[in-house]
Amino acid sequence: MQVGSDTSRARDTSVNGDWAIEAHGLTRVFGKNTAVEQLDLAIPYGTVFGFLGPNGAGKTTTVRMLTALIAPTRGTAHVAGYEIGADNQAIRQQVGMLTESPGLYDHLSALENLVFFARLYNLSADEANHAAESYLRSFDLWERRKETVGGFSKGMRQKLAIARALLHNPPIIFLDEPTSGLDPAAARMVREEVKKLRAEGRTIFLTTHNLTEAEELCDLVGIFRTRLLRLDTLERMRQGHQAQRIRIVLGGAAAPWLPTVQALHLVEQAVAEERCLMVTVASVQQANPLLIRTLVEAGAEIQYVEPMDESLEHAYLRLIGTEGE
Amino acid sequence: MHHMLTLCYKEWLELRHHRTLVAGLLIPPFMLTMLPIVTVWLSGFAPPGDMAEEMNRTLTDPALAQLSGLELGQAMIGQQFGLLFMMLPLIIPNVISSYSIVGEKTNRTLEPLLATPISTSALLLGKAFTAMVPAVGITWVCGSIFIISMARFTVSPAVFTAIVSPAWLLLLIIAAPLMSLISILLTLAISSRVNDPRSAQQIVAVLIIPVMLFFFAQTVGFVSLNIVMVMLLVLALAIIAACCLWLVVRLFQRETILTRWR
Repeated sequence: MQVGSDTSRARDTSVNGDWAIEAHGLTRVFGKNTAVEQLDLAIPYGTVFGFLGPNGAGKTTTVRMLTALIAPTRGTAHVAGYEIGADNQAIRQQVGMLTESPGLYDHLSALENLVFFARLYNLSADEANHAAESYLRSFDLWERRKETVGGFSKGMRQKLAIARALLHNPPIIFLDEPTSGLDPAAARMVREEVKKLRAEGRTIFLTTHNLTEAEELCDLVGIFRTRLLRLDTLERMRQGHQAQRIRIVLGGAAAPWLPTVQALHLVEQAVAEERCLMVTVASVQQANPLLIRTLVEAGAEIQYVEPMDESLEHAYLRLIGTEGE
Repeated sequence: MHHMLTLCYKEWLELRHHRTLVAGLLIPPFMLTMLPIVTVWLSGFAPPGDMAEEMNRTLTDPALAQLSGLELGQAMIGQQFGLLFMMLPLIIPNVISSYSIVGEKTNRTLEPLLATPISTSALLLGKAFTAMVPAVGITWVCGSIFIISMARFTVSPAVFTAIVSPAWLLLLIIAAPLMSLISILLTLAISSRVNDPRSAQQIVAVLIIPVMLFFFAQTVGFVSLNIVMVMLLVLALAIIAACCLWLVVRLFQRETILTRWR
C-alpha cells in the first residue's frame, strides 16, 4: 500500500533505495497466532509515519521486523534500501530505535550510556564523545551527564533514549510509543523533539495509539490491526469518509424528520441533534438528491447541506471497530 | 573486536556499582589461596613418620622419588592443594556471567542492545571476556601468591619444584583460562534461556565435579599430574571451548529471547 501523492517529497540523497521503508506481504506468525498479516507499505523519505493500532495489534512486532530484530515468516521488506534478512547489520546501522521501554543502563551515567551506544554504532571514540555531548546539550541533559540514569525522571530517560536513537545520525528513526506512560509535560517535551526531527527531514516511523499525537505529528498514517486497514495522508484520512457523511441543517427541530430519513434505503445511519440531521450514506451522489427531495416533499425547510469532516479518531474507531474485529 | 571491547568496558563500568558482588567474588580466591599456603606451611612442622604410608605415591611421580619423609609430606600436600586453584576460574566468573544476559533482559536493555550493529558472536564474546578477564586475572594473582609462598615455606627447593611443577604451571597458565571460558560460555547459554540468574549459576556445581574427581583421584594415588597429561587436558579443553562457543552462538536466538521474554 503506498500513497502516490507523497512520492514527490524531498528525499535525503545520502540514503539508499526509492523508499525509506518498503514492505511486501510482510507476515509474522507466532505458533498459531498471526501477529502481522500481509503488510504492504511504502513510506517516502522525510515522512513522519504514524502507525496506529490498539494494544496487541502487532505494531511492535512490525517494528521489530523492520529493524531486523526478528525475521518475517513470509514477505520481504527494505529499509533504507537494504533488505531485511540479507542486510541486517546494514539496516541496524541505518536506523535509530526507541524501544517501548527506554532500556537504559541505570548504573551508568547519561554520558556513559550514550558513548557506549555510539561506539556500538561504529563511531570513533572522539565522534562518540562529540555526538553524546551534542545531544546531551540539545536535550538539556548536559548538566546531569555524570549522574547515573537510575535517578532520572521518566521524561529525562525518554529524552536520553531518543538521543541514543539519534547518535549515529540515522536517516530512519523508529519510535515505539514514545510518550507512553509519560506525564503531560514530559509527553509534550517528547513531541517537540519529534517535531524537531521532522524539521531535520528524518523519516520517522511513529508507533502509537495516541490519536491526538498522531494528528499533531504525522504526515502519513497507517491504521493497523494485524493487517493494514488503511494507509493515507492525515488530510485524506480525515476526508476519507467526508463524502459519505453529511449534515443537513433545517429551519426547525430535526427530530420529527428523523424517521423519514431513516426510512430511505440509501441511508446507513441518521442522528438528529437540535436543527441538524447527521446522515451517513453509502454514496452521496445517489443519496443526496433523494434525501433532499424526500425532505422537501415531506415539508421540511432545508437551510443548507454540508459534508462532514471525519476526525482521525472517527476513522480509526470505524476501521478498528469493524474491519479489525 | 571493537564491539566486543566496547561491551566489555561497559560491563566493567557497571560492575563498579555492584561492590558487594565484587567483594563476594574475592572471598573464594582468598580462601582457596590461604588454605593451601597455611596447610603446606604447617606440614613443614609435621613428624616425618606420619607421611611414610604415602610412599607408594612416589612410584607414580618421579619428582617425589628422592625426597625425605618431611619433604615428601609437604610436597604431596602442596600438589593436592595446588589443584584447588583450578576451581577458581570456574567459581569467580559464575556470578557475572550468569547475570549478563538475564540482567539485560530484566533491565529491558537487551532490545536496544540487539538493535545496534553488534553481531551475536561479538555480543557473547564481549560478555564472556567481561567475566573471564577478572576470573583469570584473580586466578593468576592467587597462583602467583601461592608460588611466592611456596618458595618461602617449603622445606627444600626440591619440594618447591615438586609443587610448582611445569605441569601445574601449564595448568594454571593455559588450562585455567580455557576452563574459565567453558564455564562462562555454558553459563551464558543458560543465562540466555532463563529469566533468573540463579538457574544459570547451577552449572558451576556440575563443572566443579571433574576438578574434585581429579583431586580425590590424586589423593588416593590413582593418578598423578604430569606434563603429558596436562598437555592432553589443554588440548581437550581447547576443543571443548571451541564446541561451547559454537553451541552458545547457535543457542542464542535473538528473536526467541526478545519475543518470549516478559
